[in-house]
Amino acid sequence: MSGVPRLVTLWWPDWPLAAARVAPDRPAAVFHANRVVACTPAARSAGVSAGDRRRAAQGMCPELLVLDPDHDRDGREFDAVVRVVGELAPRLEIVEPGWLSLAARGPARYYGGDQAVADRIVASVSEWGAARGVPGYPFGVGVADGRSASAIAARLSSRRPARTLVVPPGGSPEFVRDLSVGWLRELGDVDADTVDLLARLGVRTLGTLAALDAGDVLARFGPVGAQAHRVATGRDDRPGSAADPPPEWWVEHPFDEPVEQLETVVFVAKRLADELVTRLAADGRVCVRLVVVVETEHGERSERVWYRDHGLSAAAVVERARWQLEGWAAQPGGLSGGVALVRLVPDEVRPDDGVQSRLWGGRSQADDDAARAVVRLTGLAGEQAVRVPAWQGGRLPGERYRLVPAIGADLDHPDGRLDLGDGPWPGSLPAPAPAVVRRDPLAVDVLDAEGVPVQVSGRGEVSAPPAQLVTGSTRQPIVAWAGPWPVEQRWWSAERARRVARFQVVTERGHAHLLAIEQGRWQVLATYA
Amino acid sequence: MAATSSAHAAQPVLGDVAARLGRPVTARERCLPVPEVFASLLPDGGLVRGRSVGCSGPAAWSLAFALVAEAAAAGSWVVAVGVPGLGIEAAGGLGVPLGRLVVVDVDGGPAVWAERVAAAADGFEVVLTTPPAGAERVARRVRQRVQSNGVVLVAVDPSGPNLGCDVDLATSAARWHGIGEGHGHLMARRVALEVAGRRAPRPVRRELWLPGPDGTVVAAEHAEHAEPGEAPVVPLGRAG
Repeated sequence: MSGVPRLVTLWWPDWPLAAARVAPDRPAAVFHANRVVACTPAARSAGVSAGDRRRAAQGMCPELLVLDPDHDRDGREFDAVVRVVGELAPRLEIVEPGWLSLAARGPARYYGGDQAVADRIVASVSEWGAARGVPGYPFGVGVADGRSASAIAARLSSRRPARTLVVPPGGSPEFVRDLSVGWLRELGDVDADTVDLLARLGVRTLGTLAALDAGDVLARFGPVGAQAHRVATGRDDRPGSAADPPPEWWVEHPFDEPVEQLETVVFVAKRLADELVTRLAADGRVCVRLVVVVETEHGERSERVWYRDHGLSAAAVVERARWQLEGWAAQPGGLSGGVALVRLVPDEVRPDDGVQSRLWGGRSQADDDAARAVVRLTGLAGEQAVRVPAWQGGRLPGERYRLVPAIGADLDHPDGRLDLGDGPWPGSLPAPAPAVVRRDPLAVDVLDAEGVPVQVSGRGEVSAPPAQLVTGSTRQPIVAWAGPWPVEQRWWSAERARRVARFQVVTERGHAHLLAIEQGRWQVLATYA
Repeated sequence: MAATSSAHAAQPVLGDVAARLGRPVTARERCLPVPEVFASLLPDGGLVRGRSVGCSGPAAWSLAFALVAEAAAAGSWVVAVGVPGLGIEAAGGLGVPLGRLVVVDVDGGPAVWAERVAAAADGFEVVLTTPPAGAERVARRVRQRVQSNGVVLVAVDPSGPNLGCDVDLATSAARWHGIGEGHGHLMARRVALEVAGRRAPRPVRRELWLPGPDGTVVAAEHAEHAEPGEAPVVPLGRAG
């Protein structure tokens, strides 16, 4: 063997839907930043696929059930799969919910070959899925030399009837040779821009990339390119520069009094994560593989290995510790007593080459301070009280951005949640946007010059020019106005359909508001403060 | 101190002493950058760390976003504490990078507000907030934390004319352009800005476009088109 470990990878492509227990024959999709990130087989057969915009997906499949992403649910539910596989082979690492890997060598010897291991995993997980009411979702198990080849094999196998794909030992370079460089993005090794650039330079397959000199690729593309080259040559074991950290770098917190509330344990995990990540950062390193150990007062123990190619930030560590704890608590007979110990053990670290934040030229002190303040404020106020914006899209000001918990968001790479997709929404109002958006619209009256309420007909005609804005007992003359701009939303759904007409009005004192009239009732939606 | 040129041997020692005493730092050096239009208006040419700025009047929020945009673009994180209706799109439109914006809710009275502002001041360089009713009782604690952490506190209250901050920026006489009686849409706003407060010895008054027709914030005198004509009517079409 060339020193590249042989890995078994399990990949469950539509895990968020399986975790939400949506029946596979029901058309449903999870959207993030207005695009499909996962969908059920039924939605796929109706033409929906990952990356589609919401409008396009709903156009193809009007009865599509729209779900929000919920990483906590995904992580918590995946713990059950981890346990099922963990009974066949210990020491597996979780890359993300729906994706885990383990060393093939031990289990292959025990069960009699790679194919036997893959078959056993498929059988056990299918059985679990059927019992849990999530049957029929495709997933796959791949075996190959190297992390990336194994991950690719797992992804390809999920489309096969047998659900397994075993690449013979030493066969990884040949296996990846004819595959598109797009796989690099798929696996999260390389960003879309670099992949595009490679394709434009005529490097379209991994084989072409592998044929280039490793030094040249490093010189032209930096560490990202070097990683891409390792994947292409089927030789990536772990990031080239990874090392085992000194053993004394783990952090732990024993509780004097065992703690029953998971929130408290998560809070302590936050502090530990902060300490660990800060200590590693001071040394210019990031942790790529981390073991989270939790023990109860009765000596029960939950140990999970978490892997993240780009390194685990404090927020990512906290998120994983939470998944692990909640998954354990949800398991029948899982956590019988209070938690007595939390320990974080960095299993593999590598120099922080700044790959994960190259857009901004590396993390600054301000970024670190802000990330720590987010952790502290979340501990103080709860995760629903400390949030960051994420683009959602829509025509009413309150719909365009939503706020998501900061602790679960990637603060280093906000582009994913702030990506506006394909430009402006037709029918949304032109800039400037209102600076104050009311969460609960304020009911008002709009009267014409005669003091009669202004109405809008079904054809969008105004009964008379708006002349006065009445808020409670105050009356303000309207000096300028524009509209109506109608919005018809969800016309395909009888019970959720809305017809709203929007107006902009300016009062005598120069205050401008965005008003809406819906079924004859006027509201202030937002103010241009 | 004469340690600059003469005795090389003494330099490390003196340097050490100087470091311990703290070199006198002028307010101008402790500034976060602001857009050019505000640089000439603010007493120290920028947002001085450890001080508070009040924004009030009909364009208070747009002013606050425009004021912090440059600092945020240069890498400072902005936290909005206790601002339920923050217009995120407006903040982005006025130049605040949304990747460095965090929103913190306040579900309680002045004590909770003060606690959250103080916690936010420990890690963020710019704090945007609307002080709740009764904030005077906890203001001292907030002010101390803001000063010791070198944070810029931007207090925004569209109704309050004067917030008693180190520098008070009051907007008034807002006039919208681009919208008529039944046609056009809100496009640009001309507003009077008055700079006063404890740290602003001579009150200054200036007319601004907030925002101008192209979305930027510029001084009205320097606008190429001082009066943008009647805006063309933009048909928005029926959205479905």
